[in-house]
Amino acid sequence: MFFYNLHIALLSLRRNSVLSTVIIGGIALGIAVATLFSTMRHVLARDPLPGQSDSLYYVRMDNWDPLKPYPGDDPTRPPTQITYQDMVNLMRSDIPARKSGMFKANLYVFPDPKVGRPSQQLARLCFADFFPMFQVPFRYGGPWDRQADEGPEPVVVLSEELNDTAFGGVNSVGRTLRIGDREFKVVGVLERWRPPVKFYDVTQLAVQAPETMFLPFNFLRPMKVQTAGNRDGWKSAPAPGLEGLLASESCWIQMWVELPTRERVEAYKSFVDAYVIEQKKTGRFPRPLNNRVTPMMAWLQEQKVVPNEINALTVVSLLFLAVCSLNLMGLLLGKFLARAPEIGVRRALGARRRDVFVQHVIECEVVGVIGGAFGILLSLGGLAWMNGWVKTLLARDGFFQLDLPMALFAVFLSLLAGLVAGLYPAWRVCRVPPAMHLKLQ
Amino acid sequence: MSTTTAAPALEFGPILRAMRRNKVRFGLIAMEIALTLAIVANCVSMILDARREMARPSGFDDDNMLSVGSTPFDPAFKEEGYLDNALRADLEAVRSVPGVRSVTSTYFLPWQGGGSSTELRAAGTKGEWLRTQIYGVDEHGFETLGTPITAGRNFNADDVETSVALFRALRAGPRARGADGLPAQKVTEDVVITEAYGRLAFGGRGPFVGRMLEDNDGDLYRIIGTIDAFYNPYSWPIHEYSVFFANRSRSYEGGAPYLVRVEPGQGEAAAKAIEQKLLAVNGGRNLRVRTIKEIKGQFFGTKRLVSSMMSGLAVLLVLVTSLGIVGLTSFSVAERTRQIGTRRALGARRIDILRHFLLENWMVTTVGLALGVLLAYGLNVGLVSTVAGARMAWPLLVVGVTLLWFAGLAATFVPALRAARISPAIATRNV
Repeated sequence: MFFYNLHIALLSLRRNSVLSTVIIGGIALGIAVATLFSTMRHVLARDPLPGQSDSLYYVRMDNWDPLKPYPGDDPTRPPTQITYQDMVNLMRSDIPARKSGMFKANLYVFPDPKVGRPSQQLARLCFADFFPMFQVPFRYGGPWDRQADEGPEPVVVLSEELNDTAFGGVNSVGRTLRIGDREFKVVGVLERWRPPVKFYDVTQLAVQAPETMFLPFNFLRPMKVQTAGNRDGWKSAPAPGLEGLLASESCWIQMWVELPTRERVEAYKSFVDAYVIEQKKTGRFPRPLNNRVTPMMAWLQEQKVVPNEINALTVVSLLFLAVCSLNLMGLLLGKFLARAPEIGVRRALGARRRDVFVQHVIECEVVGVIGGAFGILLSLGGLAWMNGWVKTLLARDGFFQLDLPMALFAVFLSLLAGLVAGLYPAWRVCRVPPAMHLKLQ
Repeated sequence: MSTTTAAPALEFGPILRAMRRNKVRFGLIAMEIALTLAIVANCVSMILDARREMARPSGFDDDNMLSVGSTPFDPAFKEEGYLDNALRADLEAVRSVPGVRSVTSTYFLPWQGGGSSTELRAAGTKGEWLRTQIYGVDEHGFETLGTPITAGRNFNADDVETSVALFRALRAGPRARGADGLPAQKVTEDVVITEAYGRLAFGGRGPFVGRMLEDNDGDLYRIIGTIDAFYNPYSWPIHEYSVFFANRSRSYEGGAPYLVRVEPGQGEAAAKAIEQKLLAVNGGRNLRVRTIKEIKGQFFGTKRLVSSMMSGLAVLLVLVTSLGIVGLTSFSVAERTRQIGTRRALGARRIDILRHFLLENWMVTTVGLALGVLLAYGLNVGLVSTVAGARMAWPLLVVGVTLLWFAGLAATFVPALRAARISPAIATRNV
């Protein structure tokens, strides 16, 4: 019966091809637009580390000016980053399973002169825990160990791209690369790692590509590395130069901790509070106690990783689909009612209301599915076009991808649109009395 | 409904009664039109909002400026004297490029969406600290930006030399501090400020030249001049506040950034020439030359993208709705073929039939639009409070309503014309 109904539905669509094109085209457009913008939003809003993000926390403390809060939209928020001295002290705690302070910097890489000119690369200075904490995938080798943090040992992890340009893409583990004024030994090369959102550092542009190399944090001092990120301060440094900066109230380091259990979260919060209260005795932290140990997803939301404009577009695109669905409802109603005489005959010949209803709902769903299929294809085109735009803006390839959850969502939307649009017309047409139209014939 | 002509008054009643028999169909059209108006009006509101922001002038000659970034890798650049000579040679080289009007050494870069800032206040007061952007420029800074000095004077070459020497001395070692923890020896620095910051710091009108600002170390800033045209989208709301001091900006780590102003239309050619010339002057560094237009384009990239998507959506939506009206009216016509034939046979003219359908649609559209105005405001309030955007301006709705009225009539016209062409003879035939 289902296949018979399917057959009828396809026949019916073929009978009036102009009308069918309008009907299917309308719903395809609706699905395309809704899928396109929902996918864009989803790419930015989804959990970058499912299963792991719940135990990752971003740490902030309010060391700002006693006279006024940290500037920004919300005066209750502490500075977005922490000072060097606080990071050093927080790194001493054993409560977190893993922990890392970090920042990004522009550093010069000097490949073999035969390979290329020196080039400035964005590097991240971090601790060994960074890699397992953020589940960074390796192609060759692996992260450095915690001892290398202390030395610090001159070891480096390269991105696939930098390994391609500096070493022609071969396994470079064990080879050396000159970075800044010294030689570093390559210990690991990353697998293609291009999370759309740079979830471990959203203090600046959240959709920046990850850095191309990772070095032990403690090269900060010997190499006199300057941050390439934001540096917020309210009080002049006690001395000029790097040492002055490290002893100052300047906030420029991101601090992440991994706290796998509820108890550890509570313990760590108390630890941070106790630390700040202790520091207050030395005259630091003049503001009321305002420390934040924020779960990753909450932090990403607070930093508005999904721009408001994208949220607005998503809302508008779903409303657009609603209009397409209403439109479809009207057209199907007209189409079905035009068929009333035929249905009267069928009813008179013994078709039950239910049969007529099911037949028409199936026809609506066929429209939904065909429209949805075209819509998904269209949205793929839209995403490709968007990716071209992202490439010119951010120099990033293939930024927006339709993943399985969003593909399923699109299919669900098509079925829903077909159903919503079809229920009333199908119900209406199954109530056509059997005799009336016979009389007219 | 009070009317002045008799004919339409006769028609409203029958049309309304006929519509009541088809509540759902006409309800659907009205609903669709309502939603369309709500969405289109909000899209256009957001587009206009973005446009306004993008059209905001910086006060600089944006179209004819280049940013040149020089990042050294040759360790020779670590030496102060070498850096100074390299900077002097660079400025001279850039100035000799044809089409270049002016060049300055500064870390200030318009439209990058950031910069540096500090807190100052009127000297000698116990007033609130007021955040402002702060940048070093040399004596060619304002000429290069294209923002005129409105009062007082610009920095001269001597100011720059004095200031560079002062900063060098301050960088040499920690400053001796008094019992209050502040530096014992205060310094005074000449500055040019924006009038907007002057008004903020001194409450109201100028003149600001000759007055003093202080920072929380007690160091003083003597205002020697003001500029008015200045807007830089900082991440904090201090876009129009800025203080400039005399300096040359360069370091081994941060490189040496320059702003260049060129003759109109010379940007592309000058950019190439500058890059080649500077590399020839000193090859121990990499160069990056970009136009300010390009940087501004990147800054507004997302906004522009979202705007164009919104426009696309609005156009598609009106199209879909119009097609829907065409479809529904066609059904309406097909269904009523006999009745139309009968009316024609009883003496109705073609124009009467056409008018019937147009009037019918106009009534539905109007109901939809009335509903749409409410929905549009509702959606706007919802979007403004939860997502983004500004309050919608009412003229926008007037335009939207007019537009959809016409779209509705245009969409009805084709099927209505077909209805008007139905022959009276149909009435005598069986269907």
